[in-house]
Amino acid sequence: MVKKFVIVCLLIVSLSGNDIFDNRCVPCHKDLPTSLQQMFMQYLKLYSSQKNVKYVLKYYLKHPSKELSAMSDLFIDVYGIKNPTKLSDKELKQAIDIYWDRYKVIDKLK
Amino acid sequence: MSVSKSKVTNSILKSEKKSLYRFLALYITMITFLMLVLGSYYFSTQKQIMLAKQRATLSKYAYEQTKKLKALHHYFPEERTYPRDDRFKSAIYDMDFIKIFSLLEQKDIKFDKDIYLKNGYIHFVKILDNYYLGAKYLIIETEDSGVWLEVIYKKMAIYSLISFILFVSLGIFLAKLFIKPMRDSIMLLDRFIKDTTHELNTPLSTILANIEMMDKEVMAPKNIKKLDRINSAAKSVSVLYKDLTYITLEHNRSNEDEDINLQELIKQRVEYFDALAHSKQITFKLELSYSTIHIDKNKITRVIDNLISNAIKYNKRGGYIKLTTKEHFFSIEDSGIGIAKEKLPYMFDRYMRFDNSEGGFGIGLSIVKNITKEYNIKIETTSTLGKGTRIVLTW
Repeated sequence: MVKKFVIVCLLIVSLSGNDIFDNRCVPCHKDLPTSLQQMFMQYLKLYSSQKNVKYVLKYYLKHPSKELSAMSDLFIDVYGIKNPTKLSDKELKQAIDIYWDRYKVIDKLK
Repeated sequence: MSVSKSKVTNSILKSEKKSLYRFLALYITMITFLMLVLGSYYFSTQKQIMLAKQRATLSKYAYEQTKKLKALHHYFPEERTYPRDDRFKSAIYDMDFIKIFSLLEQKDIKFDKDIYLKNGYIHFVKILDNYYLGAKYLIIETEDSGVWLEVIYKKMAIYSLISFILFVSLGIFLAKLFIKPMRDSIMLLDRFIKDTTHELNTPLSTILANIEMMDKEVMAPKNIKKLDRINSAAKSVSVLYKDLTYITLEHNRSNEDEDINLQELIKQRVEYFDALAHSKQITFKLELSYSTIHIDKNKITRVIDNLISNAIKYNKRGGYIKLTTKEHFFSIEDSGIGIAKEKLPYMFDRYMRFDNSEGGFGIGLSIVKNITKEYNIKIETTSTLGKGTRIVLTW
């Protein structure tokens, strides 16, 4: 009985298409006025390359600070700084990779 | 000192010519190298001037393109069309030099340079302050018309040609200036020989005639030996006299060619030189077969006399001289001091003497060369230092 339940749960999760980014990042950001795309473009404007952006994001999510944030002072004053992530390094990497692939500019211009 | 030119020295010596050619080759190589260096410097300067002129325009294009990129950054992803312009093509790269988007024709980019020309395209590399769309490098590309290049090539070709002609003329002038003292000395020597030759004839003929007339049978053996020595010395001087006469007076006269029995002529000349050879205890080895040659008798005599005289002069005491004749073939081989391999090509040059211990003017072999050249007689020389020399004439 338990075995059947686990299989059904796994099937639901895989069919729904939700991943670690959707499950652990998107929920917190959906109430903010700045979209994840806009935040991505802000990071891109400051840090340019894939390697650089991913490195800074990972560091920021683990050690959030006002100085490292790409967001404006006004935004931080209103919404504050997020709490350090509870995700493991592996999970964090997965989430950031998904974030990059979803919002990147390379291969999307025509 | 001014010295008038004689017919003999009008033509430049072979060694003189060689020195002149070597000097000119070195001089022209140096001038060409210098012109190449100056040319490449001029070209690179002109290219920099052209690029500097282009920089202002391309900088303006980059400023306009940056503003368009800023707008696209703001509206991305709703707006995804990269901004295009008819006046130029552009590309954007991130800080790790990874291409974000490119419309360039010339794909190879030098990120470390501000502006450059490659394969007919000018690239202006602008580093952005804000990395719109992640772009740190904005590259503006325009096609180079090449007009400036044509103008430069034309100018360089004209200047190079003028400079080359000027420098080569200067080189020839300098070379002649350096060679002049040598030519003057040779001409002076020639003049001296010509003037003194006339004065040698009478006393020499008197000495030789009187030696022949002397009755050896009534002479003491001691005096016969002395007379033989006088005879040898007089004959040496006679050979020299005949060479000088040939050079200064006779070589321009018309030839009286006839069939000469070489075998007989060599026998006569060997007999003539026998006393001279005997004084150095040199023995003649003759291997003479019948051989004929169609030539002026006086000229072939000069050839044989000079070859035998040289073989005696540069032979060692107690040595030998081997003479061989066959059909269209004559060879003379001595057991003398030999000539170094590197000096062989110069041995027939006028006034060239390899051993100063022996007297002479160094004109004998030059006469041999001139006569053999005139009659298309091929000369081959082989020599080993310390062992001897072999000269072969074939016709």
